[in-house]
Amino acid sequence: MIGAPEKAHSLVAAHAALEPSLAAMGPATLRELRRNALAEFVRLGFPGPKHEEWKYTHVRALEETEFAPAYGAKVDRNNLKGTVGGLALFTLAFVNGERAPELDQPQALPDGVFVGSLADAFDRIPRILERFLARQAGIADGKLGSHLDMPFVRLNEAYMAEGAVVSVPSGVQVEAPIHLLFVSKAGAMPFAAHPRVLIVVEEGASATVIESYLGHGGTYFTNCVTEVAVGQGATLEHVRLQQETLEAFHLGATQVHQAGGSTYTSNAVSFGGRLARHDLGVRIEGERTETLLNGAYVGMGDQLVDNHTRIDHAKPNCNSFEVYKGILGGRATGVFNGKIFVYQDAQKTDAKQTNQALLLSREASVNTKPQLEIFADDVKCTHGATVGQIREDALFYLRSRGLGKAEAEAMLVFAFAAEVLEKISVRAYADLLEQTLFAKLEKER
Amino acid sequence: MLQIKNLHAGVEDKAILKGIDLTVNAGEVHAIMGPNGSGKSTLASILAGKSGYDVTKGTVRFQGKDLLDLGPEERAGEGLFLAFQYPVEIPGVSSTYFLRAAINAVRRYRGEPEMDASTFMKLVREKMEQLDLDPSLLNRSVNEGFSGGEKKRNEIFQLAVLQPKLAVLDETDSGLDIDALKVVAHGVNALRSPERAIVVVTHYQRLLNFIVPDFVHVLVDGRIVRSGGKELALELEERGYGEIENVAGAGV
Ligand SMILES: Nc1ncnc2c1ncn2[C@@H]1O[C@H](COP(=O)(O)OP(=O)(O)OP(=O)(O)O)[C@@H](O)[C@H]1O
Ligand SMILES: [Mg+2]
Repeated sequence: MIGAPEKAHSLVAAHAALEPSLAAMGPATLRELRRNALAEFVRLGFPGPKHEEWKYTHVRALEETEFAPAYGAKVDRNNLKGTVGGLALFTLAFVNGERAPELDQPQALPDGVFVGSLADAFDRIPRILERFLARQAGIADGKLGSHLDMPFVRLNEAYMAEGAVVSVPSGVQVEAPIHLLFVSKAGAMPFAAHPRVLIVVEEGASATVIESYLGHGGTYFTNCVTEVAVGQGATLEHVRLQQETLEAFHLGATQVHQAGGSTYTSNAVSFGGRLARHDLGVRIEGERTETLLNGAYVGMGDQLVDNHTRIDHAKPNCNSFEVYKGILGGRATGVFNGKIFVYQDAQKTDAKQTNQALLLSREASVNTKPQLEIFADDVKCTHGATVGQIREDALFYLRSRGLGKAEAEAMLVFAFAAEVLEKISVRAYADLLEQTLFAKLEKER
Repeated sequence: MLQIKNLHAGVEDKAILKGIDLTVNAGEVHAIMGPNGSGKSTLASILAGKSGYDVTKGTVRFQGKDLLDLGPEERAGEGLFLAFQYPVEIPGVSSTYFLRAAINAVRRYRGEPEMDASTFMKLVREKMEQLDLDPSLLNRSVNEGFSGGEKKRNEIFQLAVLQPKLAVLDETDSGLDIDALKVVAHGVNALRSPERAIVVVTHYQRLLNFIVPDFVHVLVDGRIVRSGGKELALELEERGYGEIENVAGAGV
């Protein structure tokens, strides 16, 4: 393209104007990181359908939309009633990617625990950031590669400034769930936000962290990256909800690193978005770890919902258990790609992956690709994928007892998703998701 | 209560029911017997509103309404209950939740208020005891992993809780041991009243010792070839369907 300067995409062009304010955030090294990341994004470009990882998830509509940088918007607390934003949980809130302390719900936390904005974290826990920020998502891991080596992670890095940090020091058990709430509300002009989340749970510590992306109107682009480090023997339950508006674009990447003896549980639920994708990667870097990935996704109308997961079993004696369940109605498309890599010395790996999709209409579809690559010989790895409809015999049974067709269908769909939603230990949160699912199914009729 | 007139039905181009006439009045118990594949379950399924069957001729009226016009849930609302020959397992749907939803759906249909939680639990406990069902079954998904006998007893338990006007029991006795059979029969008999009617589909006289029918019908190849009193069942037990068929055939 040399000599034929194309007009840069708004997502790139915005950078120049924002750079001075970005530069004010964080140490000087970050400036270079941002600049390099932007250059890398420009080099990689928007992935096309020929790109293996984007074969079914086309970003043309995203590419054709002009986005302004995130602009300030106010969301009234009362408007969050009935949503996860209205639950009485410890909450750190953001609106359009910017901190929104007016929506916070502070509570006392154990000594040494930090929950705050990225900006505050640079001041208060610089060492932690130095050790962990942009480390997890940044890796390019030799021969097996890293799926996070992808354009939108670079784009997020290019704008890295706002976001949330949770840091739990060694040995500390945080009982109360920590809620990171990202509300988005667009006016006439679509905006793009690039929130960054860092969760560090150090040796022997435990916590429950909820990440919620909640749409509140309009067209916008959430391009978020979450990095997670689970220390030696530590435990983390990580709940993630994507409930953007039905006009929104949502590309999210989560990269987790697990040290030996740790347990990481991801309960990821996806309801919203016109185009929504979540890449979840877990790198197992110590022995005797447990990894549980539970996913539920719902697509209706013209939604496209993509889940890419990747587990790198790099060490022996580790277990991973993965269940993803999709519900697709209308003309919605689901994409599931589940990679499991078992490295040469990861003997005695026990990995199980299940992926099931329920199609509620003729026009709904799902593209499923389990991908197991095993380089060790003494391992137990299984995967199963099923795509089906609501069972007629079960529907008739319920109806013959008096339940209306809609109610019976909802009950069966719900039962299908329940296995995943039940895993969320924060009851009030799970209950609300169940209600949201019901409402979404009702609306489909 | 129920009037079936000249009912013809089948699937695609296979005729299964070839002209059924049957009238069931309130207070009566009817038994339908007949060889495998003669159409007993098909008749029961069509009464309950299972899709996939084409009714090509005939009418079915229930409490003065055209039954075939109603959806399965409306039939339940009108007071029809089918105890399935093969109860369906529904993983993920809790038995308690399902039962409560069913009771309230039927009550809503009838314009009655929903049943409150404590009345519901009391009713459920009482009926479980009556049917000698392990209460822990209620904590499990509908029929999931239930033994054959538990599934059958669970059907009668639902029957007892829902208190329909017309109960159709499709081979509820098969797969039950003798003690369970008595328990089930007791549950059904408890429901007998001048306002209710029961249709029992069975292969065995044994059940009819406990649930004594007013009428017995023999269904062969989609037709009722003989009807009689309870002694017809004894005759069948002795002589088998073959002779009945011959008699019927000879009569045509
Ligand atoms: N949905 C269907 N599709 C095709 N054939 C069917 C269907 N339902 C029933 N049939 C056929 O109709 C006939 C009657 O079946 P039905 O189940 O009503 O018999 P039955 O009298 O209940 O037998 P059994 O005593 O073995 O339970 C059988 O030949 C069966 O294969
Ligand atoms: Mg049968």
